[in-house]
Amino acid sequence: MRARRIIFALLAVAMIAVMIWRPRLPITVTDSTRAVFAMIDALDSNAVVMISFDHEASSLPEIGPIGAAIADHCFRRGIKVVGLALFSEGNAIGYDLLSRRAIRQGREYGDDWIYLGFRPQYTAAILGMGEDIGEVFATDYLGAPLSRLPLGARVRNYEDIDLVVSVADGSMPTYWIEYAANRYGEKVVAALSAVMVTSFTPYQESGQLAGILTGLKGAAEYEQLLQSPAAGVRGMAAQSAAHVLIALLVLWGNIEAWRSRKRRAA
Amino acid sequence: MSMLRDRLTILTAATAGVFMVVQYFVTSPGMDATYRAILNWMQVIFACALMVGIAAVVKNHIVRLRRRRAERPYSLVLLASVAAMASMGFSGGIDQGSSFLWAFNHLQAPMQATVFSLLAFYVTSAAFRGFRARSVESAVLIAAGLIVLIGRVPLGEQISAQLPAAAEWIVNVPALAAKRAILIGIGLGMVATALKVIAGVERTYLGGR
Repeated sequence: MRARRIIFALLAVAMIAVMIWRPRLPITVTDSTRAVFAMIDALDSNAVVMISFDHEASSLPEIGPIGAAIADHCFRRGIKVVGLALFSEGNAIGYDLLSRRAIRQGREYGDDWIYLGFRPQYTAAILGMGEDIGEVFATDYLGAPLSRLPLGARVRNYEDIDLVVSVADGSMPTYWIEYAANRYGEKVVAALSAVMVTSFTPYQESGQLAGILTGLKGAAEYEQLLQSPAAGVRGMAAQSAAHVLIALLVLWGNIEAWRSRKRRAA
Repeated sequence: MSMLRDRLTILTAATAGVFMVVQYFVTSPGMDATYRAILNWMQVIFACALMVGIAAVVKNHIVRLRRRRAERPYSLVLLASVAAMASMGFSGGIDQGSSFLWAFNHLQAPMQATVFSLLAFYVTSAAFRGFRARSVESAVLIAAGLIVLIGRVPLGEQISAQLPAAAEWIVNVPALAAKRAILIGIGLGMVATALKVIAGVERTYLGGR
């Protein structure tokens, strides 16, 4: 019980210290992040990227910066963005995030971006959009008929979408791969919480997934490529401190266990 | 009556299963229209299932409120929250500027993020107590875990330039091989279960009958 309290206190002190001190650690961009950045950078300004906020509110601190960085990149380059959510909790979060980023980049709702909202039963929603987006989302998040919005009228199905980015904290990209990528040939990128990455690497290796962005580190790398450090870069110091502390504690625990075994044997 | 109901359910599942397999390979206007109708129905059924879920949670907590004194405060908070969010949603809508959205953005989202963040403390404590090298295999596992832990943060690069490369190798070679094997196993299991449902052999979805 005492050891647990000490560990909690150590972690809290480490977190607070780096938040006050704010050290800037050099971030090396991985090939995976560079590939996704290059993919979006290569799209022409008339291209359409669909960003799906497939996550819960709980993972927002880790997943939010990735969504923000991708939205910034698209809006900065003038790429059209179609937002939606296949998790009810991601719905309001996605709209809020996209509208803030669009205002910052001077993008107009309806022309440069639209937000479709949330639909339950993700399998049916993903498959349905392959046939007709207007049939799955007759109106946008704000209640306007999709056909009356210039961008809404333009995107009929996946043939009019150049890239799908699933910002997810769970297994939702699996369904995008199975139904949008495999069935309709759509290019899918997964922006994932770090713990989910190993689950999706096989899909990337097989070419079913066009790219992966990894958690807060992925966001920091993307911000580095965008040359606009934000929440991802800020979070790297705290994450580094926590990881090193955990490693030291594991080593310390093992040394103590080894010493006590030695004492018992003697 | 019960047997007739079961047979009808199995027949519906088998028909829908066979249709979804066939429509993947065969295209015709009739087939496409039926496929679209099924997709719409799936969403309608899911929305109804959500309502059933809410009703079950509410019923369960009303029972707890009556019977379990110690858990009363928690059930009370849950029921009050459900009632408050539902009334805000029905009266003021869920659009921008609504009280529902305000409550979601300023209460629910931060609370969930806070609870999730607390995991860091428990994970640290559990790692300290649980990651003990009691055998060669567990020592290898711990060493791999530590390399990935340190190698995937910027500080790891400062400690040694080799750490990120080692972490990448662990994730992309041994971990990926294991994950692939698991995924292939899951895939085969899914195909087998789907075939069993279509053939009417797998009946657990009937409620254990």
